[in-house]
Amino acid sequence: MDGEAEYVIGIDCGSTLCKGVLLNRHGVAAFSLQPTGWNLQESAARVLANLRGNAADIAPNTADNDMVGNMPIIATGYGRDMATEKTKAVTEISAHARGAEYLMPGVRTVIDIGGQDCKVIAVENGRVLSFQMNDKCAAGTGRFVQMVLERFNADINLMDTLLAAEKIIQLNSTCAVFAESEIIGLLAKGYSREEIVGGVALSMAVKISSLSARVGLRPPVVLTGGLAESSGIRKALSQVLKVEVQFLPQGIYAGAIGAACIGGF
Amino acid sequence: MIEQRELPEIFESFSDARKQGFMAMKNLKEQGKGVVGTFCTYVPVELFLAVGLVPVGLCSTSDETIGEAEKVLPRNLCPLIKASYGFAAADKCPYMYFSDLVVGETTCDGKTKMYELLGKIKDVHVMDLPHNQDRPASRAIWMEEIKRLKNRVEEKFGVTITVEKLHQAIRERNRERALLKKVYELSVMSPAPLSGLQQLQILFGAQFKFDHEKKVQELEETISRITEEYQNGRHPIPAAAKRIIVTGCPIGGVTEKFTRVIEESGAVVVAYENCTGAKQFDRQIDESADPYDALCDYYLNIGCSVMSPNPNRLELLGRLCDQFKADGVLEMVLQSCHTYAIESYTIGEFLKTRSIPFMSLETDYSSGDTEQLKTRISAFIEML
Repeated sequence: MDGEAEYVIGIDCGSTLCKGVLLNRHGVAAFSLQPTGWNLQESAARVLANLRGNAADIAPNTADNDMVGNMPIIATGYGRDMATEKTKAVTEISAHARGAEYLMPGVRTVIDIGGQDCKVIAVENGRVLSFQMNDKCAAGTGRFVQMVLERFNADINLMDTLLAAEKIIQLNSTCAVFAESEIIGLLAKGYSREEIVGGVALSMAVKISSLSARVGLRPPVVLTGGLAESSGIRKALSQVLKVEVQFLPQGIYAGAIGAACIGGF
Repeated sequence: MIEQRELPEIFESFSDARKQGFMAMKNLKEQGKGVVGTFCTYVPVELFLAVGLVPVGLCSTSDETIGEAEKVLPRNLCPLIKASYGFAAADKCPYMYFSDLVVGETTCDGKTKMYELLGKIKDVHVMDLPHNQDRPASRAIWMEEIKRLKNRVEEKFGVTITVEKLHQAIRERNRERALLKKVYELSVMSPAPLSGLQQLQILFGAQFKFDHEKKVQELEETISRITEEYQNGRHPIPAAAKRIIVTGCPIGGVTEKFTRVIEESGAVVVAYENCTGAKQFDRQIDESADPYDALCDYYLNIGCSVMSPNPNRLELLGRLCDQFKADGVLEMVLQSCHTYAIESYTIGEFLKTRSIPFMSLETDYSSGDTEQLKTRISAFIEML
């Protein structure tokens, strides 16, 4: 840890979720998660207030109103510039690389599926070696998955059950809007939602494999971001990339943890 | 973030040159001067300067008339080509309006076909540019094209281009090239004495100053003022700023956003290996040779991605990386520019052998992707 800061806050203000962690030298002391909504500043402020509350609870007598007020705050994610009170802003690419290294030392490739983009990052000792992001297109993003799930009245927790289907189909459209038309067509032909959600996961994995081909994929590979918990997505990725995509506990917080690490640990 | 701090006053005259040039050009026209519009650095402007014609770079750096262009041209086309045509079709570029002759060149397929359509609006002369630099037949074609342009100019404007006058024009342009090279080489110093945005504005703005003697004088003054202030301890760029070389498609007008984003992320652009920068000013035309041979060799050897193979781009880029002690190279490729987009891989592999980090980004003339550029470029700079 540099300087006197005992705690550092990392905030990852994404397009869908705003994640925050309170980090000290022993590990993550508190997590906070809020939907981003339309007001980025407000959701970042809510996360910050939660974490400050946690810090005050953890160290009630270290005189530490001061400490709580002066903790370094590192912001990342696409709303990073909107997070008021931040001491520093870093891109989510550096943050995810560093956060993944913190959670799994020795990690070499990070796949981050975010709300509005997805990226493959080659990492060494927590530093970014190179990266690729999807361009100007929603297919392959968390938002696309969310849209499909909404159409089936399913939430993210249900996704893994839906992904258990043996038979999956191939989606051909590369655009999220056209993919939705294609899905409507498939429904009309009588395909089940399990088969279609499986097809969505597979098409997403294919998108990511074209990004990873340019970066080079070295194990260990982990998944971070909003879909980090989904074993179904990991399975689809492992199948297409032909390498095991490992489960990263707290992977959804990788950006926030990485930001906090860059800030002080 | 690199602050775009003020430079000596004389600098303003370059950053504003394109706008001020409109009036200057109107005056020149009223004095009876002929004007030749060009789009590309392959056009041997010495042929025009030799007989007192005024060459000018046509507006192709704004998205203002892309809508107009898309009435005729496909949407999925390079924005530079769409803007070039759009400004003529919408009659919105004063330089296009004042041009008596427009000289195009078959650099890429998109431009080649666009000139056919532009020819319905303006008097267009198209030079057939070979895409190879080693074969004698390619050189012979280019030589013939230069002579054909000479005849066209003589016929159109009722003038005679003598060897004497051509020699003189070559010397003048060489002097200007040398000075513009001196401008960008100021940033060899570390920290750089000016931001990449300011450098760009001088390099881009200089083409809209039409009085040779005055331009030379202003450039000399700008160089000496910047040097003097730097020696007096005025270091506007932090020493820690990462030094970036920009390569790829030409930058100017709206695509200044590329440099802006780099410098807002805390790095500094020290050199441009593109048509706005070193590609245009690095070399001199041989003053001792026959002027047509000299023009032919100079222009054919421009290291543009339309050439195959294109060793000269690698040679220049490698040399600039050493000279400017670059920390990284960023490439700007305009949407649908196949030759630059494909050559990107070669550039990446070349820079890998020199352990210089490289990233290529595609953009167009809209401002919609500024945030996406920002995330990628900031991450690249954090990586250095």
